[in-house]
Amino acid sequence: MRPRIGIFGLTSCAGDQLAIINCEDELLDILSVVDIKSFVMAQSRNEGQKLDVAFVEGSVVTREDEERLKQIRKESGLLVAIGTCAVWGGIPASRNDLGRKELYQKVYQKEENLYDCRPRVSPLSEIVKVDFAIAGCPIEKEQIISSVASLVHGDLPLLPSYAVCFECKLRENVCLLKEKDQLCCGPVTLGGCEARCPSHFVPCKGCRGPVQEANIASEFEILGEKGYSPADVARMLTTFAYSSEVIAHREGGKR
Amino acid sequence: MTRKITVDEISRVEGHGKIQVEISDGKITELKLNIYEGPRFFEALAVGRMFDEIPVIMCRICAICSADHKITSIMALEDALGVNVSLQTQLLRELYYQGAIIESHALHLYFLALPDFLGFGSAAELVPQYPEEVKRGLKLKKLGNTIQELLAGRPIHGENPVIGGFSKIPTEEQLQHLKPLLKNALEDGEKTVLLFARLEYPEWIKISNIFYALEPWGEHYGYFGNKILSSRGDKIPVGSYPKLCNEMVVAHSTAKHSQGDETPFMVGALARINLFHEKLMPRAKKLVKNIGWNLPSQNILHNNLAQAIEIIDSLERASQIIDELLNRGLKTETLPAINVKKGRGVAATEAPRGTLYHEYELDENGVVVGANVITPTAQNLAHIERDLRIAVMNLMHLDEEQIRNRLEMVARAYDPCISCAAHLVELKVNRD
Repeated sequence: MRPRIGIFGLTSCAGDQLAIINCEDELLDILSVVDIKSFVMAQSRNEGQKLDVAFVEGSVVTREDEERLKQIRKESGLLVAIGTCAVWGGIPASRNDLGRKELYQKVYQKEENLYDCRPRVSPLSEIVKVDFAIAGCPIEKEQIISSVASLVHGDLPLLPSYAVCFECKLRENVCLLKEKDQLCCGPVTLGGCEARCPSHFVPCKGCRGPVQEANIASEFEILGEKGYSPADVARMLTTFAYSSEVIAHREGGKR
Repeated sequence: MTRKITVDEISRVEGHGKIQVEISDGKITELKLNIYEGPRFFEALAVGRMFDEIPVIMCRICAICSADHKITSIMALEDALGVNVSLQTQLLRELYYQGAIIESHALHLYFLALPDFLGFGSAAELVPQYPEEVKRGLKLKKLGNTIQELLAGRPIHGENPVIGGFSKIPTEEQLQHLKPLLKNALEDGEKTVLLFARLEYPEWIKISNIFYALEPWGEHYGYFGNKILSSRGDKIPVGSYPKLCNEMVVAHSTAKHSQGDETPFMVGALARINLFHEKLMPRAKKLVKNIGWNLPSQNILHNNLAQAIEIIDSLERASQIIDELLNRGLKTETLPAINVKKGRGVAATEAPRGTLYHEYELDENGVVVGANVITPTAQNLAHIERDLRIAVMNLMHLDEEQIRNRLEMVARAYDPCISCAAHLVELKVNRD
């Protein structure tokens, strides 16, 4: 029997769901090995039911997002976070240092319009157990394909766990940080994108979130030597992955 | 007798929306298009950022319109900073937009809209009976993504377009490589037009409409311009957009609704085709004639057909842009120097779903102090609600399931981008 899967979007730009639909050459093959039970963006007739694997995009912004996520968790064997919003909170969480109320007032100029927002924007793992995470803004299609292939065969996927710098070196790019003094997040950002941006002479923006055991202190130090203030570095490092550790470096000037 | 009809989650659209209708004694007592996509406060997130970080953030409002948010934010910042770009940059941006149009329209036509007309729930369900069509949709979509990936470095949220131009210029070989792909796709494009021309477009939705679109620069149909033309004949400079859009906070939706002079208007492919079909590329123009399409059309469901025609125009125009770039010879350009200064800038472009506005205000250090984004879907929401009302009035005799399906079909014809609409708006741009 084909595994029953669901693809869900919480609050998001739909980029990771689109990245799945963007597997133009592989989509029909994928459809032949999985049974998509829920994918609101691409199909009608979506029923709540037991799933083998749920892929969830987006961050948890509203209370309704939170309830939906808990429901998905309850119905699913494995829950896979797809995209940096789901894994780290993404751009919507970038101002988690600011009260939501302040942010609402900036936009609506009225307090009663709080809608249904939670006090902070959360990645999935703050609310439910996440079995596996595929980061990226958006996810790379090769990684979703290989992940689906592994999961279909009852295996957990193996994804890159090294920094963007590693792939950037392999591509023999000129180092934008060392040679060009640019604010590059490559040393502390999860690779797997083949260093797309530095290969276009654009410094890494950190869109895939932090690599495991990222040396944040050293990133502040190296960039500090290049003349970037702790505020500049912190702003870039929290664009896609808000982290109290980074904010502490900004505040405490731990350099 | 009171009837309640609810579409809990509009499927096959980008984002989360809901339709609620209440009918009492044959009259509509309530009709709401609810947007319940969570608000992400993009404009508020922009405030406090350095100007050059803005395009990175704002393109993430929406993945399907990523190219459009990226370029429109860049152009608004260039306006604020007084940066002029080269003709080569302008041509590359146009080429990038053609890729975005092909991808977005192919996605909408084959994967979101077509199942409605053929009575299926998804493109996946279409496969056994209509394998050719689904494969054709995928092929066109892929070509759109190939163009976007070449120009932006990634099909979605590419970072290669920057203020002043493109960080890395594609090579002549890479552009040459696109030419046969574009040429071969024309056949698929024409089949798409014929497919959508053959579908039945019910008349219960036909009513007179007001259309708005950017008047294209130059002689061609296109997605860049400085003035908005309305189907009533008036022209409005892009800088006067707040008067036009008049965004309102509506309690039942996290997206704001736009109404020009209180009268709902429509933006998007149908608006563009209605206003500027005379400027279409030759093959696209000929197809309009061959299928016997009388323009302007007042049937909103024709937005699908308009998108199909735009795919042909984009395939032809992309090829023409490549020729122009190759004839001029591609140059490795250094990006123009930016003198950071206090200022305000506005830009509008035509995104696949209609006119998109970005405005930014910078302080003397280049820090963003105000931002405003008005998306096509936000402008269309009032119009969609109006059309849903008309649909309900004309379809009251049907059973609930049939009404539900048709309401979804109307909403979907607009190709609404609910993530875009629910980005929410910063009203703090000072206007003195």
